[in-house]
Amino acid sequence: MRIGTVTVIGANGTMGCGVAGIFASFGDAKVYMIAREIEKAAMAKEKAALSVKAQAIEYNLIPRTYDDLAECVSKSDLVFESVAEDEDLKKEIYSQLSKHLKPHVIFGTGTSGLSINELSAVLDDTAKRRFMGIHFFNPPYRMTLCEVIPSRYTDPSVLEGVKAYLRSVLHRDVVQVKDEPAFLANRIGFQFINEALQQAERHKDKGGIDYIDSIMGPFTGRSMAPLVTSDFVGLDVHKAIVDNIYNNTHDFAHHTFDMPRFALDLVSKGHIGRKAGSGLYKRIVNDDGSRIVYVYDIATGTYRPIYEYSFRFAEAMKARLRVGDYEGAFEQLLSDDSREANICVESLIKYAIYGVAMGKAIGEDVNSADAVMATGFNWVPPLALIDAFGGVDIFREIALERLPKGFFEMVDVEGILSDIPSSRYDFRPFFKAR
Amino acid sequence: MSMMGANVYILGGAQTDFSRNWMKEGKGVIALLREVIDDGLEDIGLTYDDIVRLNEQARVACFVGNFIGEYFVDQGHLGALLTEVHPAFYGVPSSRYEAACASGSAAIDAAITKIRAQDYDLALVIGWELMKTVDAKSCGDFLGRAAFYADEAQGIDFPFPKLFGRLADEIIQKYNLDAERFLDNLAKISVKNYSNAKRNPNAQTRKWFISEQEAKDRGTPTNPRVGGLLGVTDCSQITDGAAFVALASERFVKEYFSSDDYPVIMGWGHRVAPMKFCKKIQEATSSVFILPWTRQAVLDAYNRANLKVTDIDFFETHDCFTSSEYAAISAFGITEPGKEFEAIESGSIMFDGEHPINPSGGLIGCGHPVGATGVRMLLDLYKQLAGRAGSYQVRKADNGLMLNIGGSATTNYVFIVGRKEE
Repeated sequence: MRIGTVTVIGANGTMGCGVAGIFASFGDAKVYMIAREIEKAAMAKEKAALSVKAQAIEYNLIPRTYDDLAECVSKSDLVFESVAEDEDLKKEIYSQLSKHLKPHVIFGTGTSGLSINELSAVLDDTAKRRFMGIHFFNPPYRMTLCEVIPSRYTDPSVLEGVKAYLRSVLHRDVVQVKDEPAFLANRIGFQFINEALQQAERHKDKGGIDYIDSIMGPFTGRSMAPLVTSDFVGLDVHKAIVDNIYNNTHDFAHHTFDMPRFALDLVSKGHIGRKAGSGLYKRIVNDDGSRIVYVYDIATGTYRPIYEYSFRFAEAMKARLRVGDYEGAFEQLLSDDSREANICVESLIKYAIYGVAMGKAIGEDVNSADAVMATGFNWVPPLALIDAFGGVDIFREIALERLPKGFFEMVDVEGILSDIPSSRYDFRPFFKAR
Repeated sequence: MSMMGANVYILGGAQTDFSRNWMKEGKGVIALLREVIDDGLEDIGLTYDDIVRLNEQARVACFVGNFIGEYFVDQGHLGALLTEVHPAFYGVPSSRYEAACASGSAAIDAAITKIRAQDYDLALVIGWELMKTVDAKSCGDFLGRAAFYADEAQGIDFPFPKLFGRLADEIIQKYNLDAERFLDNLAKISVKNYSNAKRNPNAQTRKWFISEQEAKDRGTPTNPRVGGLLGVTDCSQITDGAAFVALASERFVKEYFSSDDYPVIMGWGHRVAPMKFCKKIQEATSSVFILPWTRQAVLDAYNRANLKVTDIDFFETHDCFTSSEYAAISAFGITEPGKEFEAIESGSIMFDGEHPINPSGGLIGCGHPVGATGVRMLLDLYKQLAGRAGSYQVRKADNGLMLNIGGSATTNYVFIVGRKEE
């Protein structure tokens, strides 16, 4: 598959810009970057080159506006749509485009959760066969995951060609996933994040948000605590993802996708996270330039300085991780009977079980869950986490012992954990000693 | 017939993923060492209990390569430090070896000698450096101690890029080269090494982008000049990492393993050039080689191994800068001195070429944790010979050669790995 020319629609958005950089660099493709205004497209061009740390790719980047859309599209081997997550807007653009597409064109959407089958409804039969979801992660230069989602009309040979191109030319970690709400990585990741948010509300008298983040910090296998992550991507995006899953899926974790009241209130008041200046957290700059991190206190409905929690189990784990004693770190976690250690253990077990279940159900196979979580979230992936617990047999025993009985009535844990391999990922780099 | 005497076998080993930043993970040197030793022992099929047993019989010793842990992690006495990794090292003879960026090779050299002399049966060689503990400028200053610090580095920002920038100038002058063509060839070396690194699952830059245009466009915000003519794309990386190889005697191999089909050390070369760069160049005026002692170290290794350049199937070289790989091409004998460009322009040193150089990605692509580099090179020679290099396995690998240098090509270490003579 030779992709010489690409059009990115919505190229001034965070994703559109980053993806344009990937096509222009690794793909050495000429990329038309379409934005509403030419100035925005021109700024996006500079940002795209910086995002891959190579100014030399600028010769491949051509800023354009929607006035030139038809012309750009008619010259392109691949069209990548990256406009706002609005089904009607996307469909309107698709119907405009349809007649300008070259017969061999690849048409991809960067939607992070809208149905690919639904979106393709407005395309003609030829375009339908060449349309699919191509879901990059932010920032694409650093996050190498690319979820590829065919619709029921996608031509299998076109699909295989695109996957091979993404893998070998663009150096992506490619995982084919089913057309399910939010696809695979966000389904698993936001299950964990939203349940953490629910836990924060449940434990609001202990401090809530920073309490939960201190229990599930980087020492539990991630670079950023879960609610810091939510604040970073934005509660608006968080809400769109979990609402989509909550309204359109019905698996055993269904109730964990229900966004807590306090978070909905924050969204309605515009406190959507770091990009808005405040959200779950808020950074206050003092007169002397020093910074303090505040957190939203759910119980009082106000922002307050974060607490420096020091849980015995967490400190003991960090001390072991600092010297590379991963087994010792898990012994510390499992031998501590504090409320906090129990919350931590339970959350990690549930994450691994849900991840494996979704990998099997939505991915190519169980390994898909590991690939998406490692390369899309930079979290210890589910199978690698099971390895870190000591392997599936030990993990199953611990799950039986630590999860509430009711969980097993709802979930076929035995079935989910049957026939699972060791991870292809090394768990060690994911557990940070902080 | 090799002049090496008793066979020294390479059993295998491990390296850490050179893309990791250990300080960001909150982990220190003990975590780094534990990981590489755990993985290395597993790779060769030995346990910590085996180390305890062998030590009771005084048959095992450790050789640690590290340049300057005193500065990067405030720690010296690095041979003894292994006892903090595992109690199995209590009582095991262990010392640290230092020769700047060739520290790993100094440790290998000592280990080979002890096996060949039959003092020990098993030698564990561990090279490491943690460099991301400080900012880039301090890192450059610390590394300046590999030059003659007072004259060549003190108070100078990034002294080594400047020294190897001077090497580039001297090459142009000595061989009367067209500067633009020469710089384009250096860009080709850089792109080759980044591109080889894409095959290597432990390479630091395996997910990075580079193009020949970007490498040629020196002096831009994304590729600023760092030393004379050289740009940032001409430089190796600042890297955290460790590498481990195990060397053993014939007696040990026969006792512990069902087969003795392991690669062996065929020859070595070790030559030290004048420390100061200006003296090197002054001395070299009487030679056709720009780095005559580097060439001599290679010749010594060929002679000891009774091999010649055409017997060598691939090379791992010390591309701390593109200019050092350029000079290595003629030092290896791939071309005549002054004609290095032929091997670059013909594609001979490419992964699929006649004389592949740095199939691992080298220091530019794979990364350069300075004290680990020599050990990482020997591990890569082993992997190619044993057919265990996976996605970066070269077509033919009966003999491989490594060149590891310290300072501005001051310490020159060469090892050749091959198959045991029947």
